[in-house]
Amino acid sequence: MTDAIWTGLINLVGNPHTMGLMLIAVMIGIIVGATPGIGGRLSIALAIPFVFGMDMTQGAVFLLTMHAVNGTSGQISSIMFGVPGDGDDAATTIDGYPMAKKGEAGRALGASITASGVGGIIGAGVFAVMIPLLEPVVLAFSPAEFFLLAILGITFIAFLAGKGQIFKGIIVGLFGMMLATVGMDPQTGTARYAGDYLFLWDGVSIVTCVLAVFAVPEMIALASRGGSISSLSPELARFSYRQLFQGVMDVPRHWFLVIRTSIIGAVIGMIPGLGGSAAAWMCYGHAVQSSKTPERFGKGAVEGVIAPETASNAKEGGSLLPTLFFGIPGSSGMAVMMGAFLILGIQPGPAMMTQNLDLVWTLIWALVVGNIIAVSFLLFVTRWVALLTFINGAVIVPFILVLVSVGAYANEGQWENLVILMIISFIGWGLMRYDWPRAPFVIGLVLGKIAEESLHKALGLWGTSFFTRPLSLVLIALIVATIGFALYNNLRGKNAMPVGAGS
Amino acid sequence: MNLLSKSALSFVALAASTGAAQAQDGAAFYNGKTVNYIVATAPGGGYDTYGRLVAEYMQKYLPGSTFVVRNMPGAGHLIGTNAIYAAKPDGLTLGTFNTGLVYNQIVGNEGIKFDLNKFSWVGKAAADPRVFMVAAQSPIKSWADLVASKEPLNFSTAGVGSASYVETVILTRTLKLPIRMQTGYNGSDDQLAMRRGEITGTIASRSSIDQFVKNGYGRMIAQIGGIEKDVPQLKTLVKAGSGQELLDLIESQSEIARLTAAAPGVPAPQLAALRDAYRKSMEDKDLQARAEKLGLPVEPAYGEEIAKMIATALKQTPETAALLKEAMEKPKK
Repeated sequence: MTDAIWTGLINLVGNPHTMGLMLIAVMIGIIVGATPGIGGRLSIALAIPFVFGMDMTQGAVFLLTMHAVNGTSGQISSIMFGVPGDGDDAATTIDGYPMAKKGEAGRALGASITASGVGGIIGAGVFAVMIPLLEPVVLAFSPAEFFLLAILGITFIAFLAGKGQIFKGIIVGLFGMMLATVGMDPQTGTARYAGDYLFLWDGVSIVTCVLAVFAVPEMIALASRGGSISSLSPELARFSYRQLFQGVMDVPRHWFLVIRTSIIGAVIGMIPGLGGSAAAWMCYGHAVQSSKTPERFGKGAVEGVIAPETASNAKEGGSLLPTLFFGIPGSSGMAVMMGAFLILGIQPGPAMMTQNLDLVWTLIWALVVGNIIAVSFLLFVTRWVALLTFINGAVIVPFILVLVSVGAYANEGQWENLVILMIISFIGWGLMRYDWPRAPFVIGLVLGKIAEESLHKALGLWGTSFFTRPLSLVLIALIVATIGFALYNNLRGKNAMPVGAGS
Repeated sequence: MNLLSKSALSFVALAASTGAAQAQDGAAFYNGKTVNYIVATAPGGGYDTYGRLVAEYMQKYLPGSTFVVRNMPGAGHLIGTNAIYAAKPDGLTLGTFNTGLVYNQIVGNEGIKFDLNKFSWVGKAAADPRVFMVAAQSPIKSWADLVASKEPLNFSTAGVGSASYVETVILTRTLKLPIRMQTGYNGSDDQLAMRRGEITGTIASRSSIDQFVKNGYGRMIAQIGGIEKDVPQLKTLVKAGSGQELLDLIESQSEIARLTAAAPGVPAPQLAALRDAYRKSMEDKDLQARAEKLGLPVEPAYGEEIAKMIATALKQTPETAALLKEAMEKPKK
């Protein structure tokens, strides 16, 4: 085993050609990740023709690195402009953008980029440690557990809404869950709330909703307020490499949180069917819930940036596990990756462990090295990128709105999503204008769908007896504890001044 | 040789030469043109992979053309298929979609804005036989075990109304199998569910579960269509009886997979050029080598042949259509 670890590393860094390809892959991954609406899945699909000539190791390293660093650059636009690239970046927006508004874009970027990198590396570590435990852990989660995990995630809304806002939070969360019911009913095959519009059969596009609820209202506010995104001038904000460095150092300062959210992210990534957005949101919820000062969240708490970013990169290591060792892809991105592995002559499946262990370790190292390269590069360039937050809004708003529209369209390639974007933007703007929390909306939308689908499956398989499965009981206990804790917190704080937790 | 056969022969020769001439005229049309190739699903997956492969090689055999692959996912291939059908019939828009839409058309489901009989068929790349597969740890070892099972067995399908759902309903009802359907297993959800043991088996296209079986997680107990000899054909296992037409329908369906089609009414020269380029692509050694690497079988058929196959599949007696409709009725709880 130890032999394989070092052979794996030497295969990677000892070969200049492989390292060169990896550098290219990191650059492509960063660019694709920074563009809203274009997922990593598409970039792998497009890269497949290029891997035909490559040998097994190089091709696999190339594709994996490209995929793994995707999440690292996604947060740049979420933090600086409040434009999340996809569902998981939206969690970063909630505290990242307020930080940019306070003139701390550099710190937020430093923290989030470092957190991504560290998360990716810890995720690779979890990958390595979990190999022997893969089978029992992954197979323990069935639709019954998916349903309860989704419900657990939804109960985090109680914390995200902030004190005194719990009912507003629940209303917004229910609205999100309501939108999640648009589309084909999984049980009867009837189109719900779709009218004559076929594009609604698959439900409302999450990326479009996220852009509408976060990005557009912020741009409207910026345009009407005037000035730049940062309320402070660069001089007053003391914008410099130092601020960036301060952000980098925020990560070790919250080391315990970083480790917890990385592990949660990696484990959620391992379990096929929950999806990446769930990892980021659950870790964000966990950060708020476990904080001694939860009222700071939503207004620019650096932990709110660190938690989702560690999770979203850590999950990449996790999601590779079932793909490699079962030959069963954990996500749609991994399904494309598996197709590419077959081209390269890699046969994913249990035989990987015995026949291709060197390659497995090379891939784990590729996750580590790829993240390090991406982080160093991004930390170097963000010094200049972050300056955009000090530019006059009048110049920047039109560009961002174009970026938002392209993102909403490109994700599914359907123009109808632009109409949805406009409609939901009104709602998003209303929520912001009247100081209602917006995060519960996305949680309701993302987890509502998972909850519904897995509830149907669980009931079909076991009837109501699924609630008494051992793991189900543990999750139910967690849900009850979360709700109890939230109620206690809210009732205790009832007489205190309600704190307007922005979003 | 008498006069009649001579003239018949020369007629055939003439027809062939005009066909080739048309294809040549058509090919000239494509010089400098951009062709949209619509894939009715998201990137990744079988349709996308076949689609991109076909587009790449058709571009090679239509000199001067540029093929652009566009993914138009949604509503179980309906959005993309409607778009291909509604495109301007100039031969510059073609695409690929699920053959399972044949079922939807026979029954007349909502959302269909096309007539499969009228498409300008270019070709098909593969056959996709269906198999009954059960999880390795299940006590079901053979078809006889399945039929004899006292307990209903959990079989997974994709969403209600999908081709996998329709085929499972048809087979379960006409053969009176002890199967309880669990819907909503998309992508490879079913494979993980079989590993966990909550699902006993599934009726799937052979190519989609090939890897799973090779990894030792499942076994195939019966097959519908295809040329493989390692699994007994369902036909040899069941007595012919009522509902035979439906089994035939599934079999004919499995013969036509990974289609390429264009809107109705594409001018003859362009269509001839497209078919010609498609044929050359399928016969290309490079394409075959790459497809093999991808684990994609290539069993092509072309043009008119496809149109005939589709027409046969669609031409069902009212009784069969009624049976199918009944099978596709929404489950009542």
